[in-house]
Amino acid sequence: MPDHQRRVHNRLAVLRAERGLSRKQLADKLGINYQTVGYIERGDYSPSLELALTIAELFRLPVEAIFSLKPMTPLSEEIFGEPPAETR
Amino acid sequence: MNTTITRGIEYLPRSRRRLVVAAALAGYPVAVAVLVALKHTSPNRWLILALFILALLPTVAALLVSYRYAQGRIDGRCARLDERDIALRQQAYALSHRVLAAILTVAAAVTVVYLTSGNTLRLDANNVLPATMWVIIYIPALPSLMLAWIEADRPADA
Repeated sequence: MPDHQRRVHNRLAVLRAERGLSRKQLADKLGINYQTVGYIERGDYSPSLELALTIAELFRLPVEAIFSLKPMTPLSEEIFGEPPAETR
Repeated sequence: MNTTITRGIEYLPRSRRRLVVAAALAGYPVAVAVLVALKHTSPNRWLILALFILALLPTVAALLVSYRYAQGRIDGRCARLDERDIALRQQAYALSHRVLAAILTVAAAVTVVYLTSGNTLRLDANNVLPATMWVIIYIPALPSLMLAWIEADRPADA
Protein backbone atom coordinates (compact mmCIF):
# COMPACT_ATOMS: atom_id res chain seq x y z
CA MET A 1 0.00 0.00 0.00
CA PRO A 2 1.45 3.41 -0.90
CA ASP A 3 2.57 5.47 2.13
CA HIS A 4 0.32 8.41 1.27
CA GLN A 5 -2.80 6.26 1.61
CA ARG A 6 -4.59 6.12 4.94
CA ARG A 7 -5.06 2.65 6.24
CA VAL A 8 -8.62 1.38 6.03
CA HIS A 9 -9.51 -0.85 8.99
CA ASN A 10 -12.10 -3.56 8.58
CA ARG A 11 -14.01 -6.38 10.22
CA LEU A 12 -13.99 -8.66 7.24
CA ALA A 13 -12.22 -11.56 8.96
CA VAL A 14 -14.68 -11.53 11.88
CA LEU A 15 -17.73 -11.34 9.63
CA ARG A 16 -16.41 -14.04 7.34
CA ALA A 17 -15.73 -16.36 10.29
CA GLU A 18 -19.15 -15.57 11.75
CA ARG A 19 -20.84 -16.60 8.50
CA GLY A 20 -18.65 -19.71 8.21
CA LEU A 21 -17.17 -18.65 4.90
CA SER A 22 -13.67 -19.51 3.73
CA ARG A 23 -11.67 -16.86 1.90
CA LYS A 24 -12.19 -18.80 -1.30
CA GLN A 25 -15.96 -18.94 -0.84
CA LEU A 26 -16.17 -15.23 -0.08
CA ALA A 27 -13.87 -14.40 -2.99
CA ASP A 28 -16.04 -16.45 -5.36
CA LYS A 29 -19.14 -14.57 -4.22
CA LEU A 30 -17.36 -11.25 -4.75
CA GLY A 31 -15.70 -12.22 -8.04
CA ILE A 32 -12.16 -11.56 -6.79
CA ASN A 33 -9.10 -13.70 -6.06
CA TYR A 34 -9.06 -15.35 -2.66
CA GLN A 35 -5.70 -13.79 -1.87
CA THR A 36 -7.26 -10.34 -2.26
CA VAL A 37 -9.64 -11.19 0.58
CA GLY A 38 -6.60 -11.99 2.72
CA TYR A 39 -4.87 -8.74 1.75
CA ILE A 40 -8.02 -6.75 2.63
CA GLU A 41 -8.41 -8.55 5.96
CA ARG A 42 -4.78 -7.83 6.82
CA GLY A 43 -5.16 -4.17 5.84
CA ASP A 44 -2.57 -4.44 3.06
CA TYR A 45 -5.09 -3.53 0.40
CA SER A 46 -7.92 -1.00 0.55
CA PRO A 47 -10.80 -2.10 -1.67
CA SER A 48 -12.40 0.21 -4.21
CA LEU A 49 -15.68 1.85 -3.26
CA GLU A 50 -17.45 -0.55 -5.59
CA LEU A 51 -15.94 -3.61 -3.92
CA ALA A 52 -16.55 -2.20 -0.41
CA LEU A 53 -20.22 -1.62 -1.28
CA THR A 54 -20.48 -5.11 -2.77
CA ILE A 55 -19.03 -6.60 0.43
CA ALA A 56 -21.48 -4.54 2.52
CA GLU A 57 -24.37 -5.71 0.35
CA LEU A 58 -23.26 -9.32 0.66
CA PHE A 59 -23.15 -9.15 4.45
CA ARG A 60 -26.31 -6.98 4.55
CA LEU A 61 -24.56 -4.41 6.70
CA PRO A 62 -23.87 -0.71 6.25
CA VAL A 63 -20.44 -0.17 4.74
CA GLU A 64 -19.25 1.76 7.83
CA ALA A 65 -19.96 -1.33 9.97
CA ILE A 66 -17.32 -3.19 7.95
CA PHE A 67 -14.80 -0.51 6.96
CA SER A 68 -13.50 2.44 8.94
CA LEU A 69 -10.64 4.92 8.83
CA LYS A 70 -10.24 4.51 12.61
CA PRO A 71 -9.23 1.27 14.32
CA MET A 72 -12.36 -0.79 14.94
CA THR A 73 -13.55 -1.75 18.38
CA PRO A 74 -14.52 -5.40 18.95
CA LEU A 75 -18.12 -6.13 17.95
CA SER A 76 -18.93 -7.51 21.41
CA GLU A 77 -17.82 -4.22 22.93
CA GLU A 78 -20.06 -2.29 20.57
CA ILE A 79 -23.04 -4.50 21.42
CA PHE A 80 -22.57 -4.93 25.17
CA GLY A 81 -20.62 -1.80 25.97
CA GLU A 82 -17.11 -1.30 27.24
CA PRO A 83 -15.83 -4.18 29.42
CA PRO A 84 -14.65 -3.51 32.99
CA ALA A 85 -11.07 -2.23 33.20
CA GLU A 86 -9.67 -5.47 34.74
CA THR A 87 -10.80 -7.59 31.74
CA ARG A 88 -9.18 -5.32 29.18
CA MET B 1 4.24 -28.32 -14.40
CA ASN B 2 5.89 -28.66 -11.02
CA THR B 3 3.22 -27.22 -8.76
CA THR B 4 5.38 -27.50 -5.65
CA ILE B 5 8.02 -25.21 -7.14
CA THR B 6 5.37 -22.80 -8.48
CA ARG B 7 3.70 -22.66 -5.09
CA GLY B 8 7.06 -22.11 -3.38
CA ILE B 9 7.84 -19.17 -5.62
CA GLU B 10 4.39 -17.64 -5.11
CA TYR B 11 4.84 -17.76 -1.36
CA LEU B 12 8.37 -16.35 -1.25
CA PRO B 13 8.41 -13.64 1.43
CA ARG B 14 9.06 -10.12 0.19
CA SER B 15 12.54 -9.97 1.75
CA ARG B 16 13.63 -13.03 -0.24
CA ARG B 17 11.91 -11.80 -3.38
CA ARG B 18 13.81 -8.53 -3.08
CA LEU B 19 17.08 -10.46 -2.82
CA VAL B 20 16.15 -12.36 -5.99
CA VAL B 21 15.32 -9.07 -7.76
CA ALA B 22 18.59 -7.50 -6.59
CA ALA B 23 20.50 -10.58 -7.82
CA ALA B 24 18.71 -10.39 -11.17
CA LEU B 25 19.46 -6.68 -11.59
CA ALA B 26 23.08 -6.84 -10.46
CA GLY B 27 23.98 -10.18 -12.02
CA TYR B 28 24.40 -9.17 -15.65
CA PRO B 29 26.50 -6.03 -15.00
CA VAL B 30 28.67 -8.10 -12.66
CA ALA B 31 29.04 -10.84 -15.29
CA VAL B 32 30.03 -8.25 -17.92
CA ALA B 33 32.51 -6.67 -15.48
CA VAL B 34 34.02 -10.14 -14.85
CA LEU B 35 34.24 -10.67 -18.61
CA VAL B 36 35.96 -7.31 -19.19
CA ALA B 37 38.36 -7.84 -16.27
CA LEU B 38 39.33 -11.35 -17.40
CA LYS B 39 39.75 -10.30 -21.01
CA HIS B 40 42.87 -8.34 -20.11
CA THR B 41 44.32 -10.96 -17.76
CA SER B 42 43.74 -14.42 -19.17
CA PRO B 43 44.51 -15.58 -22.69
CA ASN B 44 42.19 -18.60 -22.55
CA ARG B 45 38.92 -17.44 -24.07
CA TRP B 46 37.07 -20.68 -23.23
CA LEU B 47 37.88 -20.18 -19.57
CA ILE B 48 36.65 -16.59 -19.85
CA LEU B 49 33.44 -17.75 -21.52
CA ALA B 50 32.92 -20.44 -18.86
CA LEU B 51 33.40 -17.91 -16.05
CA PHE B 52 31.08 -15.45 -17.80
CA ILE B 53 28.36 -18.10 -18.08
CA LEU B 54 28.95 -19.12 -14.46
CA ALA B 55 28.58 -15.50 -13.35
CA LEU B 56 25.46 -15.19 -15.47
CA LEU B 57 23.72 -18.31 -14.11
CA PRO B 58 22.39 -16.70 -10.88
CA THR B 59 20.97 -13.85 -12.99
CA VAL B 60 19.20 -16.25 -15.31
CA ALA B 61 17.83 -18.19 -12.34
CA ALA B 62 16.70 -14.99 -10.61
CA LEU B 63 15.04 -13.74 -13.78
CA LEU B 64 13.21 -17.06 -14.21
CA VAL B 65 11.99 -16.92 -10.61
CA SER B 66 10.70 -13.37 -11.13
CA TYR B 67 9.02 -14.33 -14.40
CA ARG B 68 7.37 -17.29 -12.70
CA TYR B 69 6.28 -15.13 -9.78
CA ALA B 70 4.60 -12.54 -12.01
CA GLN B 71 3.43 -15.01 -14.65
CA GLY B 72 -0.06 -14.29 -15.94
CA ARG B 73 -0.36 -11.06 -14.00
CA ILE B 74 2.11 -8.77 -15.78
CA ASP B 75 1.33 -10.02 -19.27
CA GLY B 76 -2.42 -10.01 -18.53
CA ARG B 77 -2.84 -13.65 -19.61
CA CYS B 78 -4.42 -14.58 -16.30
CA ALA B 79 -8.15 -14.72 -16.95
CA ARG B 80 -9.15 -13.45 -13.50
CA LEU B 81 -7.22 -10.33 -12.68
CA ASP B 82 -9.18 -8.53 -10.01
CA GLU B 83 -8.89 -4.88 -8.99
CA ARG B 84 -5.92 -5.51 -6.69
CA ASP B 85 -4.03 -7.41 -9.40
CA ILE B 86 -4.69 -4.63 -11.90
CA ALA B 87 -3.65 -1.90 -9.44
CA LEU B 88 -0.48 -3.86 -8.60
CA ARG B 89 0.31 -4.35 -12.29
CA GLN B 90 -0.04 -0.61 -12.89
CA GLN B 91 2.25 0.12 -9.94
CA ALA B 92 4.80 -2.40 -11.28
CA TYR B 93 4.75 -0.81 -14.76
CA ALA B 94 5.02 2.71 -13.29
CA LEU B 95 7.96 1.67 -11.08
CA SER B 96 9.74 -0.08 -13.96
CA HIS B 97 9.35 3.08 -16.04
CA ARG B 98 10.90 5.13 -13.23
CA VAL B 99 13.75 2.64 -12.73
CA LEU B 100 14.45 2.52 -16.47
CA ALA B 101 14.37 6.33 -16.70
CA ALA B 102 16.82 6.56 -13.77
CA ILE B 103 19.20 4.01 -15.32
CA LEU B 104 19.11 5.73 -18.74
CA THR B 105 19.63 9.15 -17.14
CA VAL B 106 22.65 7.91 -15.19
CA ALA B 107 24.05 6.17 -18.29
CA ALA B 108 23.57 9.30 -20.40
CA ALA B 109 25.15 11.51 -17.70
CA VAL B 110 28.17 9.18 -17.34
CA THR B 111 28.62 9.12 -21.14
CA VAL B 112 28.44 12.92 -21.37
CA VAL B 113 30.95 13.37 -18.53
CA TYR B 114 33.25 10.78 -20.13
CA LEU B 115 33.07 12.44 -23.56
CA THR B 116 33.43 16.01 -22.29
CA SER B 117 36.54 14.98 -20.34
CA GLY B 118 38.39 14.62 -23.62
CA ASN B 119 37.84 10.88 -24.06
CA THR B 120 36.49 9.29 -27.18
CA LEU B 121 33.94 6.51 -27.36
CA ARG B 122 34.29 3.99 -30.15
CA LEU B 123 31.10 2.23 -31.08
CA ASP B 124 31.99 -1.35 -31.91
CA ALA B 125 30.66 -4.79 -31.06
CA ASN B 126 32.60 -4.86 -27.77
CA ASN B 127 30.69 -1.82 -26.49
CA VAL B 128 27.35 -2.15 -28.22
CA LEU B 129 26.77 -5.87 -27.61
CA PRO B 130 26.68 -5.77 -23.77
CA ALA B 131 24.36 -2.74 -23.86
CA THR B 132 22.09 -4.40 -26.43
CA MET B 133 22.03 -7.60 -24.38
CA TRP B 134 21.14 -5.56 -21.30
CA VAL B 135 18.18 -4.05 -23.16
CA ILE B 136 17.07 -7.46 -24.47
CA ILE B 137 17.37 -9.10 -21.04
CA TYR B 138 16.09 -6.39 -18.72
CA ILE B 139 13.48 -4.27 -20.47
CA PRO B 140 10.97 -7.13 -20.87
CA ALA B 141 11.81 -8.41 -17.38
CA LEU B 142 11.61 -5.12 -15.46
CA PRO B 143 7.81 -5.14 -14.83
CA SER B 144 7.99 -8.71 -13.45
CA LEU B 145 10.98 -7.79 -11.29
CA MET B 146 9.19 -4.71 -9.97
CA LEU B 147 6.03 -6.70 -9.23
CA ALA B 148 8.12 -9.17 -7.22
CA TRP B 149 9.74 -6.20 -5.47
CA ILE B 150 6.57 -4.33 -4.41
CA GLU B 151 4.01 -7.01 -3.59
CA ALA B 152 3.39 -7.56 0.11
CA ASP B 153 3.75 -11.06 1.56
CA ARG B 154 0.84 -13.26 0.66
CA PRO B 155 -1.63 -13.92 3.45
CA ALA B 156 -1.60 -17.41 4.88
CA ASP B 157 -4.40 -19.60 3.57
CA ALA B 158 -7.50 -19.66 5.75
